[in-house]
Amino acid sequence: MNVLLFGLIAEKAGAHSMVMEASSTAELRVMLASRINGLDKLSYAIAVDRQVVKDDVPLMGAEEIAVLPPFAGG
Amino acid sequence: METRTPKQRDIFVEGAIDPSFLAESIAKHATRTDIGAHEIFLGQVRADLQPSTVIPADHPGQRAGGEDNAQPSAVQAIEYTAYRDMALEQMTVIREEAFSRWPSMTCLHVHHSLGVVAAGQLCFMVFASAPHRRAAREAVAYVVDRIKADLPIFGKEILADSSHVWKVNRSVDTVGRHTDR
Repeated sequence: MNVLLFGLIAEKAGAHSMVMEASSTAELRVMLASRINGLDKLSYAIAVDRQVVKDDVPLMGAEEIAVLPPFAGG
Repeated sequence: METRTPKQRDIFVEGAIDPSFLAESIAKHATRTDIGAHEIFLGQVRADLQPSTVIPADHPGQRAGGEDNAQPSAVQAIEYTAYRDMALEQMTVIREEAFSRWPSMTCLHVHHSLGVVAAGQLCFMVFASAPHRRAAREAVAYVVDRIKADLPIFGKEILADSSHVWKVNRSVDTVGRHTDR
């Protein structure tokens, strides 16, 4: 799956997306932490199909996944 | 029963919001004589002092942004980016909620900058009109807060010394929205 990265997290990763295979958002968090230096120290949310998910949710592979640092609109 | 799909509107504009755009926007409402009140919120980029993240040339191994070398530097501009598809979907939901909470509201216009906006320039505009002031006032306050909390918009504050820090909406309660605060 193609994981979209934004703001500070895109900067840390040096990319605006990453191809990853995860079966759940919890697994995705572990994989992201191993791929992006310093991510464990950052606050971020995961959006599945453009909705922020708080709990661990299963991923089928066709969803639109995004990793979102804190919002700064306004 | 007829089902209505809310229309998605693009709120994003490239660069700063020109004050003349606001003036034109107000003028367009002159034909709507059922309106008795306009309420407008404008967000402007503030030249906050932020700790610099420049790594001193004589200490290349030193971690940027460390407590000991954090000289304050003023914000020159904010470069905004957004997760556009999600932001516009969320905005459609917020908009529908605002119209259901304040059904007398005549219209609601929202604009937010993307790209670089210099300190002192406008980056955000929420403009509600209604027959009477209360609905317009309450709707604008609600919509501004919801946008700050729920729209995936990111701001890179570019400092006078060319380093940058990432803006965080600290006034927004992010408990439950983000993992650890």
